[in-house]
Amino acid sequence: MATRKQRAPVQYVQLDGLVVLKLIKHCQEEGAGGTDLVQGVLLGLVVDNRLEITNCFPFPRHSEDQEDFNEVQYQMEMMRNLRHVNIDHLHVGWYQSTYFGTFINRPLIDSQYNYQDSIEESVVLIYDPLKTTQGFLSVKAYRLTPAMMKFHSENDFTTENITKHGMTFDKMFEEIPVVTKNSHLVNSLLCNLEEKDKEADKFNFLDLATSSMLQKNLRQLMECVDATTMDINKYLNCQRQIMRQQQAKQQYLQKRQQDNAMRAQRGEPPLPEEDLNKLFKPLQSPPRLDCLLYSGQIDNYCQQISSFSTQSLGKLFMAESLQNDGQSN
Amino acid sequence: MSRFFKAGSDSESETESSEDDEIIQQRPSAAPVQSRTFQFSDDEDDSRRIVRSAKDKRFDEMTNIIQQMKNHKQIKDMANVLNDFEALIKAADKAKKVIQEEGVPRFFIRCLFDLEEYANECWEDKEWRKSISKNNSKSFTSLRQKLKKYIREKYEKEVNDYKENPDQGDDDKRDETPAPQDEESEDEVDTSVKAPVKPKLPAPPVIKKQLPKSMDDDDDDDDDIDWDSSDDSVESDIDDEQFDTGKLTAEYFLKKSDSGTSKKEKKRKEPKQMKLEETDEEGDWEEVKGGAPLIMERPKMFGKDQEINVDAVLKKLYEITSARGKKGTDRNEQIELLKELREIAETNNLGLGIDVKLYFNIIGAIFDYNPNTLTSMRNDVWESCLSYLQTLLNILIDHPEVNVGEHIKEDDENLTEAPLYVRGCFLTLVEKMDEEFTKMLQSCDAHSTEYVERLQDERQVCDILEKTLRYLEIKGTTLEISRIYLKRIEHLYYKFDTSCVYTGDNEPKKEGTSEQTMDKLCKFLYTSETPDRLRTRAILCHIYHHALHNRWFQARDLMLMSHLQDNIGHSDIPTQLLYNRTLVQLGLCAFRQGNIRDAHNALVDIQSSNRAKELLAQGLLPNRQNERTPEQEKIEKRRLFPYHMHINLELLECVYLVSAMLLEIPFMAAHEMDVRRRMISKNFHHVMKMSERQTLIGPPESMREHVVAASKSMKTGDWKACKNFIINDKMNAKVWDLFFQPDKVRDMITVKIQEESLRTYLFTYSNVYDTLSLHTLAEMFELDMSVVHRIISKMIINEELMASLAEPTQTVIMHRTEPSRLQSLALQLSDKFLTLVENNERILEVKQGIYPFQNKRDRNDRQPGTSAAFQHHTQGEGYGPPTSKSVTNNQHWNRRNNKNYSRESRNY
Repeated sequence: MATRKQRAPVQYVQLDGLVVLKLIKHCQEEGAGGTDLVQGVLLGLVVDNRLEITNCFPFPRHSEDQEDFNEVQYQMEMMRNLRHVNIDHLHVGWYQSTYFGTFINRPLIDSQYNYQDSIEESVVLIYDPLKTTQGFLSVKAYRLTPAMMKFHSENDFTTENITKHGMTFDKMFEEIPVVTKNSHLVNSLLCNLEEKDKEADKFNFLDLATSSMLQKNLRQLMECVDATTMDINKYLNCQRQIMRQQQAKQQYLQKRQQDNAMRAQRGEPPLPEEDLNKLFKPLQSPPRLDCLLYSGQIDNYCQQISSFSTQSLGKLFMAESLQNDGQSN
Repeated sequence: MSRFFKAGSDSESETESSEDDEIIQQRPSAAPVQSRTFQFSDDEDDSRRIVRSAKDKRFDEMTNIIQQMKNHKQIKDMANVLNDFEALIKAADKAKKVIQEEGVPRFFIRCLFDLEEYANECWEDKEWRKSISKNNSKSFTSLRQKLKKYIREKYEKEVNDYKENPDQGDDDKRDETPAPQDEESEDEVDTSVKAPVKPKLPAPPVIKKQLPKSMDDDDDDDDDIDWDSSDDSVESDIDDEQFDTGKLTAEYFLKKSDSGTSKKEKKRKEPKQMKLEETDEEGDWEEVKGGAPLIMERPKMFGKDQEINVDAVLKKLYEITSARGKKGTDRNEQIELLKELREIAETNNLGLGIDVKLYFNIIGAIFDYNPNTLTSMRNDVWESCLSYLQTLLNILIDHPEVNVGEHIKEDDENLTEAPLYVRGCFLTLVEKMDEEFTKMLQSCDAHSTEYVERLQDERQVCDILEKTLRYLEIKGTTLEISRIYLKRIEHLYYKFDTSCVYTGDNEPKKEGTSEQTMDKLCKFLYTSETPDRLRTRAILCHIYHHALHNRWFQARDLMLMSHLQDNIGHSDIPTQLLYNRTLVQLGLCAFRQGNIRDAHNALVDIQSSNRAKELLAQGLLPNRQNERTPEQEKIEKRRLFPYHMHINLELLECVYLVSAMLLEIPFMAAHEMDVRRRMISKNFHHVMKMSERQTLIGPPESMREHVVAASKSMKTGDWKACKNFIINDKMNAKVWDLFFQPDKVRDMITVKIQEESLRTYLFTYSNVYDTLSLHTLAEMFELDMSVVHRIISKMIINEELMASLAEPTQTVIMHRTEPSRLQSLALQLSDKFLTLVENNERILEVKQGIYPFQNKRDRNDRQPGTSAAFQHHTQGEGYGPPTSKSVTNNQHWNRRNNKNYSRESRNY
């Protein structure tokens, strides 16, 4: 373990074509076309500064009533079987599908923390099936930053702790570049196929129907903003309460001092000290992690919208010039 | 083995106290069973144990208390001893049943005896008595008294017995007594055994006492309760039996009366007399006798030679009526007696006064017949009641010189001479009859022929009502007239009279329609000095009647003028129910007349809670939150309306849903992009949501599914499909044919559907059109040009449709000023960001000066930044002025808010 820790952190993720295909297949078959989330385990190896992901298998879907189902056991069993057929069996992370980029939330953070806690190099692959259907394969690899790991391990999400760690929403995750790599055999096969299949529709990424996508994104964004507002309101209320308590405390202390001063004048002993914390119980300020997550999610949405819009604009300009061409001809 | 032995010894021990040889032989089987089976323990087999569990429980309870009492006795804690004693009595009371079966437990008697001894000892000990606390001595005296009284009342015999041979109890305390292994034999010897087994029990004396007093006293419960009821019910059973079967012969008692109980009997007599003086419980004694003998002697009402005159009859009448409500009175007998009395009076020509008075009494007795207020009368009783009422009514009408009324006092009655005064209120009887009638209808199954038969009596009831009304119009006071008017109204308002529906032609108004009657009756009630409740009910019935006959404007105006909706919550529940019914009827009327919004508003309250059935008192719904108590259920059941007055609930729901659809679908189409979607009808949304949740939507079956399907096609502007879903054979049979003149209603609905579909279509698809030809629209929706023109003009005026009409070309030109969906979403988003920023700044306000939090500042800056960046993108989409405005707004806002907050923060 010690040797592994000293190694330079993973610089990029190298995905095997097989993994991508399996991922897409899983999502297509079980995710109801992208609306349901699917998850699975990534297998691979760390080589130098890259993480090679060479295989994966899905978490089986099980209904609520199958309580006796043991996921851990299933995973162990699966990995053992894979080892028997001499396939990479080292656990290097997990993958999850997403719906319009909604993935930054508490469960993801928690499980990723657990993964990284036990397997340092593990990453989470986020696959967006909707984007893929539009012609852009979207697989992104994320991991928690060391700062976030430390922050999470303390399990203290108060404002003070956030300040101490200097944690902000953009410092929680770091994205690792993903490279897809196929074996030469597969590449040659693909080249072969491409030659044979000439009429294939390769232009679905030129889709101009931007508004529905943007609308959905906006709706999601709005939900997120609402949640943030609520969270902020909660925090605000808490702050006010703390303020009020502080004032009451101050008044109490002042009165105490005055009383004591009077007593000292009269030559009486000062009043006994009382435990202030008992009189004014310190209020719990609400955890701020959710707020961070919402901010992160909003940021994510915004980036998504912005990149989408840029592309759409490009497409629109292209369409315009094509139109003009057609007219002039 | 030991059982038999013990049983033997047991019988032996009792021989001493018993007399008869032959009885002794039978006793081993019966007596032990009764007296000591409670001590069964381990070695009994399981089955037996289960059987006795109740008894064991009771007796365990008692022994526990006794044990405690012993402890308290030792420390002479009188207050606690008293408590224990009281608890013990309670336990004994609870175990009464068991005791009756098993005999009095020995340990209980021993405890009583010991306690008495103990009390006496302590009483003697004067030193001690002086030394104890006040509280203790008080408890002690009360204990002593209570104990004495209790023993005297209940267990004197047993305690005395115990006194005679106290050891016996100790001997067989732990004994296993035989089980009732010979139950068959017990049955045989039942009477012969049990009576002698308790020779010392007070059975014989009881009987003896009763004998001379009253042979006819058919329930001797009172007597028994006085001194030995808890003792043994077996015994009183025997008594009853003997009375019934006539076994009660002299020798039966003679046999036992010489068995040495005479002494005890004397003893017992004394306390009893004392008690008669002390307690008034026994006061009942004489009174029961007063009623009962009469019944027994029924055949001869009057002595043979007695002169039958008014006074005698009256006296007899009082005798009979004084038995009313007493426990032993046979109500049927009473009616018979009164009838007979009336016949006698009639044959002796005692005059009208007596006749009327007796009629009053008979009818009263008939209403009394049913002691339970929940169950209804028997049919024959009811019929006789009706006939009596009618006869009495006829007499009263025919003889105007007879004055009746509740205000006439008994003493002022004049039954013989010309202006006759009789006490009694005929109106009350009529009201009571009406109540009974409702009750009878409630108790029948609404779908049986029985119900129809009963309903046929309505004619008679109405007849009586009408006659009474006419009678009272002459003789009654205003209040009485109002009451009978209201009764009449209540029998009239819900009946549909085809003759009062105007078909629109100018035919002459018919005379004598229910409308006129209602009008007359109600107007009297409105103008005269009547209690508010009567007036309210009259108004409601009047509105109902109007609404039922399609007189929408009269009904609505009356409703609005009455201001009932403001204060109906303060009235009693039946009136509130009537209000609900009226409101529903009003809604249905509005619907028939095509006033969809009014119909919806009237029905929304009833329908939204999903409890229409309960609100209209047409049935009870299972209450999920809190089970109602039986009493509550009874009360609610009594409030239910009889079936023939019901309003069809499916019709109601359908009308509501259709009106909700006609309002809601265009509304939804118009406000699709609103931030906060208000809804007109929650119920409708709920129904829609439910259908959306279904995985597979088949062709509509139920009424609700039809409406849902219709709504869906209306959303797309497909009015034909919508119409076909609403109006088809199924729906006709289920709903529309229930209306009077259903074709009119259907035509109205079709037109409404066409119009609203047109509106929906325009709302939904206007953004696809640049111009729209009115002709095309008129063709599409099969409406007149003028109608289309009207609808579109109205939409333009209301700023629902951003367009203008080009008259020469007959087209609608769209202005395209309303934001696209994406734009409106972006607008909403910027609003949300505004609130977010606002809140964020507020936090900063609070924080300022408390402790520094620099990171906060960063974030604050960033968020508006992202939103600005986002706005930039949307600008690229051709979304110009609003954003820049909103940005400036934004800054403006913040500045203003900052001021506000600084003011606020000063307040903190």
